[in-house]
Amino acid sequence: MSALGSAFGWLERFCHNYGPKIGRSTIVIVLLALWLPIVLVVVMSFAADGVLSFPPDNLTLEWYFVFLENDAAISSVFTTMKVSLVATPITVALATMLSYGVSRYDFRGKSAIQGLVTLPIIVPLIVVGVALALFFGMINVGGGFWSVVAAHVVRTIPFAALIILPTFMTFDRSLEEASKDLGANELETFWNVTLPNIMPAIVAGGILAFTVSFNEFIYTYFVRGTGMETMPIYLWSRIQHNVTPEVNVLSVVFLVVAILLVLVAVLLTNISRLTMRS
Amino acid sequence: MSVRDRYWLRLLLLVGIPVGVLLLFFVLPLVIMLWLSFHDGMPPAPYTLENYVRLFDGLYLNVLWRTLTMTVQVTVLVTIVGYTLAYSVVQFSRRTTLLLLLVILPFWTNYIVRMYALINIFQTGGAMSWALNAVGVLNEDYGMLFTHEAVLIGLAYVWLPLATLPFYASLSNLDTDLIDASKDLGAGPIKTFYSVTLPLTYNGLIAGIILVAIPTFGAFVTPALLGGTDQIMIGNVIDQQFNQAFNWPFGAAIGIFVSLIVLVVLGLSTKIGGNIVGVGGDQQ
Repeated sequence: MSALGSAFGWLERFCHNYGPKIGRSTIVIVLLALWLPIVLVVVMSFAADGVLSFPPDNLTLEWYFVFLENDAAISSVFTTMKVSLVATPITVALATMLSYGVSRYDFRGKSAIQGLVTLPIIVPLIVVGVALALFFGMINVGGGFWSVVAAHVVRTIPFAALIILPTFMTFDRSLEEASKDLGANELETFWNVTLPNIMPAIVAGGILAFTVSFNEFIYTYFVRGTGMETMPIYLWSRIQHNVTPEVNVLSVVFLVVAILLVLVAVLLTNISRLTMRS
Repeated sequence: MSVRDRYWLRLLLLVGIPVGVLLLFFVLPLVIMLWLSFHDGMPPAPYTLENYVRLFDGLYLNVLWRTLTMTVQVTVLVTIVGYTLAYSVVQFSRRTTLLLLLVILPFWTNYIVRMYALINIFQTGGAMSWALNAVGVLNEDYGMLFTHEAVLIGLAYVWLPLATLPFYASLSNLDTDLIDASKDLGAGPIKTFYSVTLPLTYNGLIAGIILVAIPTFGAFVTPALLGGTDQIMIGNVIDQQFNQAFNWPFGAAIGIFVSLIVLVVLGLSTKIGGNIVGVGGDQQ
């Protein structure tokens, strides 16, 4: 046997003997690498000496109180809530209408429409962000609340549709037919039969859309003009100019909200829905 | 109104309104961007191709080259680590759902927060410096913020969960009997991997690569926060043209150029078999 062959044989035996161990170590190392930075932010939010002292000597809740008294930070929280609470119902309504239409009617161009709905996920965010800002500038609308809401709707529609559409597709149509046989019209059928059955998917889609909107940065950054300061925008300008300990607190707020929302969405739908369409 | 008319009216309302919203606030802005990119200044300025020619100046060519290099490096790194991770979760562990959740959750954490978390680690005197001093490798403050490596690690950090999902999907659909059969027939783990596992998970592999490569090419936040002025990528040039130089037509031209590259990459990937449309993820 050649030297190369025996080296290969040795490698095969090595993988056979140690493969599972290497695999399990990879899982542990990667999960540590993913979570360590996040855990550090949480720890630093309790650090008595502020942002630039690692590791913290003393722990305190002081920065949480400072955060609560920081008007700019609190107002950014409210701005974000306002935008997301307005954008999410619009997105869910549009995604539900689209899903109902695509799954119940036969027409040409269906796959083109599905492509169009997925496209905002694929085109680089900075390109669409700039294009939206150009658009609102050209039609003399400029930045402001409704421009940001429109941008958030475009941004979140794919996520809601990706969850709601498959549920419509797999929904048992015979239930709807039974309802119509019993004399209900299409609207009554939708309201009393279809909607209750697809409600979990609509809620999950809504939560996901809300989470994306809540975290949205790039579209908002370009579209907002001046004045509209959402939490991610506030965080961005703090990091760029002057990091104060409240930044850690704001990060923790983000973390808690996002993790809770995603966990609820996962409980309502199944995990594979959240990650891929199948 | 006839039944047939009502059918079409309903369809028009149901599908027409959402599609209309996307056409108005997504397609039209991109069309306006394309139109503006051919102007020498804000319209009614004359038409020109100058904005596209300017892209190939030495300065911007440098940034394009850096962006391309970064995209390749991030994609290779994420593919190797993410595929190994997905493979290990499928083959060597039982608590799949929990592990998958632990991989996904950081991804749903705010992008800026994750960048800030990395700044805490990379900055001079930060967590990494402390750790290196604690184990005795170094005896001075160390920082790697505003380097090529910081941006590379930052981008890999944010895209790893996203790429792991399609890798996981294709690997978990793989029929394990085929792997057992290959081993029964005398192939070792490596031979089995490249002659059975890899070809059968090819589509997921391509999908994951695309999901990393496209947003990395258009990255803007990570190079701005972790790379600073020395490590700017093409996304930062768009931002500069738009928010500092106020040369909107040139910024638009770069945006169109980036979109074209994305379309070409997508087209190539569907040609060689990846299916990205089925995979929902997020980019920033």
